[in-house]
Amino acid sequence: MHSIFSGFNTTDTATWPWLDYFTGLPLVIQIAAVSIVVSVCFILFIQFRILQTRISGYRLQKRLDRINPIIDAVISDQVILRNDLMADGASVDNVPLDLSGFENPVFRRSANRQLLLERLISYRKSFGGKTGALLRRIYLELGLEKMSFSKMKSFRWNNKVKGIRELTDMDIIISDVNILPLTNSKRHELRSEARNAYIKLSKNEPFKFFDISTEPLLMWDQIELFKTITTTENIAVPNFARWVTYSNNKSIISFCLKLIVYYNQTDAAPAVVRLLDNKDHVLRAEAINCLGKLKYEEVEQQLIHIYSNQPLRCQIEILKAVGRFETGKSAAFLKQEFLYSTDFDIRKNAALSLVKSTHDPALITELMEASSEENQLIIKHSMNPLIKY
Amino acid sequence: MKNILVIDDDAIIQNVLEKVLVKEGFHVEVAGNGKEGLSKLDLMKYELVITDLMMPYANGFEIISKLKQHPNTANAAVIVVSSITHEASVMDSFKLGVDEYIRKPIMVGELILRVNKLLSNRSSNA
Repeated sequence: MHSIFSGFNTTDTATWPWLDYFTGLPLVIQIAAVSIVVSVCFILFIQFRILQTRISGYRLQKRLDRINPIIDAVISDQVILRNDLMADGASVDNVPLDLSGFENPVFRRSANRQLLLERLISYRKSFGGKTGALLRRIYLELGLEKMSFSKMKSFRWNNKVKGIRELTDMDIIISDVNILPLTNSKRHELRSEARNAYIKLSKNEPFKFFDISTEPLLMWDQIELFKTITTTENIAVPNFARWVTYSNNKSIISFCLKLIVYYNQTDAAPAVVRLLDNKDHVLRAEAINCLGKLKYEEVEQQLIHIYSNQPLRCQIEILKAVGRFETGKSAAFLKQEFLYSTDFDIRKNAALSLVKSTHDPALITELMEASSEENQLIIKHSMNPLIKY
Repeated sequence: MKNILVIDDDAIIQNVLEKVLVKEGFHVEVAGNGKEGLSKLDLMKYELVITDLMMPYANGFEIISKLKQHPNTANAAVIVVSSITHEASVMDSFKLGVDEYIRKPIMVGELILRVNKLLSNRSSNA
């Protein structure tokens, strides 16, 4: 049996007597012994890391317990409980602020100033109006925005994200030169944060980064951006047809199609129609979906014309779109697809669109009589008002 | 002195609402989660309950339905303070008998006005 230490020079047994003993053991025992030692070392390392994290957490908590009451006292006194702020016509910019409470030596340490900054942000997230504006003024008067901007200049992406988030939470404008390049960063987290910040903070052209984005807009990013766009007040909404026509980034086009539907930009429909010639079938399917939701009836016959050349995904979207148009002009087409298609999804969507677009009970009765048992079930399912279309 | 119960898991909101409402002349009890909030119902009769919707142990909807059954809060006014802007949540809250729905971030001035108006309307109707 070979020893796992067979290649080593083990002649110096006076220095390493245990090694001589170890090499003499059977291979299985050697492997077991090495595994045990490695496992024990790994467990010790993990335990050490847990201990280290707990100690730093404990220290942080102690610092917070000491600092937060000081911060809370100043904020209560200078922001929350002041009477002059609530008076009609009182301007946040003119009310006197006494920030001597923050001149406490404890806030000279940068770690403690960071805690102060985070506490102010937590307050601002919970309170808006004049209270929020005054908290922003405190942030600026204490020069804490310099800390946030310096984080943006850091080489570490997580520091940059932190800086952007702080500035966004405090509604501090970041110049395009600093933020726009980050919206196309290779690092997904940084890119996503920068894009959200840009939309929130840019008052004139919040979607300008769509022009330069070459990196994809992932589905989760789209959800986050959609939330930011739809919850940001007074956002300047452009015509998204611009990017549908000119962007080379498919994910941007896909996102713009969703925004076109959300803002019901019917004037963008001609640009969306041009996507029907796009080579990417996923994009084509999304364009058809968009046209259906916009109820752009002008394209109905074109969709039926291209139907037979499309992959399944696009065919299903065409059936849905025809149902959404509710013109009743394509009943024969839908009926044919329902009766003769071998694909279940096609039949199901054709039936749903038939029920939705043709308000003719005689046609439904006729279909029920002409259908197989399975198709009858599909029609019954489609007629259920609880089924979301 | 009118009694108000504030139920919110955010320590900052608890702290601020307590200070502001005490300054307005109310007696305020504060709870950090749904379970604690429900346990405070037995302490006294409340004229107003201000609650969040998303909290540990018991969510706002459970709390509101229990408030309406408890003798100390059955007639109390209820204000929901939540960051949930979803229409269905707002509708569900009103269906459960909520009087006001205030979205976060809270505007302190607006909250005080609503509290005073709600309580004065209740006293004049009683």
